[in-house]
Amino acid sequence: MIHQHPLITLAEVREDKLHILKTRLEDIRVSLLNAQMSEQPVEFGKVSTLHYGRWVILSRDSFRDEPAIPVGIRLVLTTNYDGIGNDHEDYHLAELVTQLTQYIDDLYECCVGYPEPEERTEESRKNFLKKGLIRTSAFYNGAPGRSVSQIHQEDSLHQHIWKFLKNKKWDEGTPAVEIHRAIKQEIDSRPEFEWTKEKAGVQGIKWLSLIAYGVLFIVMLPLIIGWLVYLFIFHELWDKKVTLAQSDLDDTKINELKKVEDIFPQNQFTQVAVLKPGFARRLNFRIWMFRTRVLAGDIFVKGKLLNIPTIHFARWVLIDKNKHVLFFSNFDGNWEQYLGDFIDQSGWGLTAIFCNTVKFPRTNFMGVLGIIPGMPLTFPGSKFVLTGGAYDEEHFLAWSRSTQVPTQVWYCPYRHLSIKNVNNNTMIRNELRQDLTEEQAKLFLKRF
Amino acid sequence: MTALELSEIQAYLLSDYQQMGYSKYYLMQVKDAAATKNFLAAIAHGITHANATITDTCFNIGFTSNGLKQLGYNETNMHSFSREFREGMVTEHRQRLLGNFESSDPSKWQWGAPANDRIDLILMVFGKDEAIAEDFYNGIKDKFETALSVIHILDGKAMPDNREHFGFRDGISQPVIKGSGLPPCGNNNDIEPGEFVLGYKNEYTVYPDTALLKIAQGKPELLADNAEGLADERTKVKYKDVGQNGTYFVLLQLQQDVDGFWEFWKKQSVETDEKKRNEEATMLAAKMMGRWPGGAPLVKYDKDPGVDVTDDNFKYVKEDASGNKCPFGAHIRRMNPRDVFEESSPKVSLSLTRRHRIMRRVRSYGEDFIGSAENHKPNGEVGLLFGCFNANISKQFEFLQYTWGNSPKFKRLYADPDPLIGVREDPEKKLGQIFTIPQATTNRVISDMQSFVTVKGGAYFFFPSITAIKFLATI
Ligand code: HEM
Repeated sequence: MIHQHPLITLAEVREDKLHILKTRLEDIRVSLLNAQMSEQPVEFGKVSTLHYGRWVILSRDSFRDEPAIPVGIRLVLTTNYDGIGNDHEDYHLAELVTQLTQYIDDLYECCVGYPEPEERTEESRKNFLKKGLIRTSAFYNGAPGRSVSQIHQEDSLHQHIWKFLKNKKWDEGTPAVEIHRAIKQEIDSRPEFEWTKEKAGVQGIKWLSLIAYGVLFIVMLPLIIGWLVYLFIFHELWDKKVTLAQSDLDDTKINELKKVEDIFPQNQFTQVAVLKPGFARRLNFRIWMFRTRVLAGDIFVKGKLLNIPTIHFARWVLIDKNKHVLFFSNFDGNWEQYLGDFIDQSGWGLTAIFCNTVKFPRTNFMGVLGIIPGMPLTFPGSKFVLTGGAYDEEHFLAWSRSTQVPTQVWYCPYRHLSIKNVNNNTMIRNELRQDLTEEQAKLFLKRF
Repeated sequence: MTALELSEIQAYLLSDYQQMGYSKYYLMQVKDAAATKNFLAAIAHGITHANATITDTCFNIGFTSNGLKQLGYNETNMHSFSREFREGMVTEHRQRLLGNFESSDPSKWQWGAPANDRIDLILMVFGKDEAIAEDFYNGIKDKFETALSVIHILDGKAMPDNREHFGFRDGISQPVIKGSGLPPCGNNNDIEPGEFVLGYKNEYTVYPDTALLKIAQGKPELLADNAEGLADERTKVKYKDVGQNGTYFVLLQLQQDVDGFWEFWKKQSVETDEKKRNEEATMLAAKMMGRWPGGAPLVKYDKDPGVDVTDDNFKYVKEDASGNKCPFGAHIRRMNPRDVFEESSPKVSLSLTRRHRIMRRVRSYGEDFIGSAENHKPNGEVGLLFGCFNANISKQFEFLQYTWGNSPKFKRLYADPDPLIGVREDPEKKLGQIFTIPQATTNRVISDMQSFVTVKGGAYFFFPSITAIKFLATI
């Protein structure tokens, strides 16, 4: 099974070149879009390990709130990639700089310290990008273990069987197992589907990890409760009520964001927020990052993050001496649905993380109940405890929009597949080779 | 439960005026702002509010954001209206969201697009019949002749048994606003007022974004303080609320290709015998709608009962988890997934779907024609004046149209837009457009779906309270 990893690298932009950089990014965006619209191959497609990728300019202007430390202008590159080989990061970077050489040169020569033209080699380009690498705090993958090529393969399998089923007439009352068998025969007869003979690895929930987490939780419970009460009394109660509403948002900014949204059934989201000052808030953020890391890595492995079934990849990254936090995601549907889902289904999860950032809508006990994974929001009393934070819909949506950062270039390799499609396709592949009962076969046929 | 201030709220929100056989929507432009304000002052008391006894006529009024600007509404104050309302229905992004392309492209609209004449307000006149409606209009006409000019008139009617032109009974599943005095309806249809009226708490138990008067103009003393208690940070004085007891109205003129609709379903039928083919076509059309022509829900009725059934007491999890009865892609299952919101538990789903409801207010236009597999050639253009009220256009109407309607990735589907309102004439090739009908073993797939509904015009309106209309007359 090939694992997917997050990569993020920052480069300092030369102020005198900012303008050129922006133009070049826009050129890349437009040519990518045009190619995609006309179903032409795109440059990014040459990077075989690349799932999603994006370039974002991060500067003082990207911050809604006063940054905790002065920040320059940075070009952020993030990718989600297939881990190939022992040094998979190196392998991926090598692919990036060899397959996207033109893009890399064009963009990074606007950055401080990029090798001069005569010094540019695969090695020097790679080393430049490596210098800016930073660690991802928490990473979520909606289809763990699915490489880009596997996703494309399984897509073609789904399409092939779909057409096969559609074009064939079955007598009424044909048992599902018989149809299942016929499909298997059809696929067996086609050499291009030879690969289906091998079962796809699908990551299961790591129960040990879940149990360890549970035990840790119980052992720590008194501490956790004390911590929550402490935070409540000494921090939350003192937070100012946030009243920024959606109608207060800056039109120019919103329009800039919307310009690139909802062109395809998938979208991206980039966000930067400033952590609240003080040790307690930072520690609290770390605790919740730890929790999210464990949950996202070991428990949320079935295509749902905090119950949200529309996310392909997401991650949180601390930057600037751990004083600022970046959030990135790639998801199905539109911003409103996505955020709506967030508040609807996992208000606690988000609240717990983001309440540690400046001017987040006021919280009480920052979603204490949410420590338990999968905790439904209708739990008795949860309304009372969880008043505020993400449940404060109007202000939460405004908070999220106002801290969002425009994404200059965004690439997604399988924009015609939702994350549910991706996971469903893998199930098709695996169930194809299994002996199914009539009931199971019926469910198998429902996948089309 | 907070009781609604009924005599402040325009009645069309709370009543579908089915007894009003005829309606005329006058889309108007302000010629003279001062005269318009005089007109507003003169007719404010005559607007049908939810406490009024309804006799032979009803009269309601709404404003576009352009209209408010024409009246001299302050720019800063304007900003506290919702973005959707301020921007209007036609922006580049919204065109993508609402899927208004090809024949539905705003550049081809008859009204409401930037290329058409600007629309400032809508006067809605309802009468038991056409003559009564016109009489009423003629009675008030001289009051605004110098003030307003008529840009476009939309005639509408309530068709017998609430049918729409394709032949289906409409207006069955509707929310009931808590505190409105109407009897509770059950079936998850009882909804917090803030989903439909500004100034009340919504399903998240917060107040929806409302139109605060941040800069004093006109006679603010007419208005109440905002219910949430928001105040100016420096002076601590609470803002007056122009939105209180008001709501937003979405209006779309949707042309219906009744002949194309039934021809398509007949072509999809495998039966050759004429009668059987018509039956199959009706079954397929019902699959697409989620109800039989008479309204009987597929979830409860395997066969067409042949009579009108306005039953709304059903859910999907227990009754039809497989979709074998009512396809996941059916219009009503998408527009209100009831207890199956994504993959949440039934209980959570019900609470989530309550946050995405709209109050539909539709009228038909064109010939009084009710289509069927046997009879589907109306004379001239026919269609639906689709209207709906909501407190948050983005979370309600636009969410339904895009996320539940146009998105081909609804639920686990691959390439299925809403078969009624989400189909594009020129879809992305790689995806195609299909309608999947789950069956006991292999699903039935209708490929190359066609669009039978074309947008001819549309706009977002603000429907102020009676007091807010009086206030607008003073700005
Ligand atoms: C020509 C266009 C349309 C036609 C012919 C049509 C027809 C129908 C019919 C026959 C029903 C079933 C009756 C009922 O449950 O009340 C229905 C339900 C519904 N429609 Fe439409 N409709 C159209 C456009 C739209 C649009 C544009 C929207 C919103 C974006 C919409 C939203 C709904 C909703 C929310 C329901 C109720 C679903 C439920 O609660 O179960 N419709 N429609």
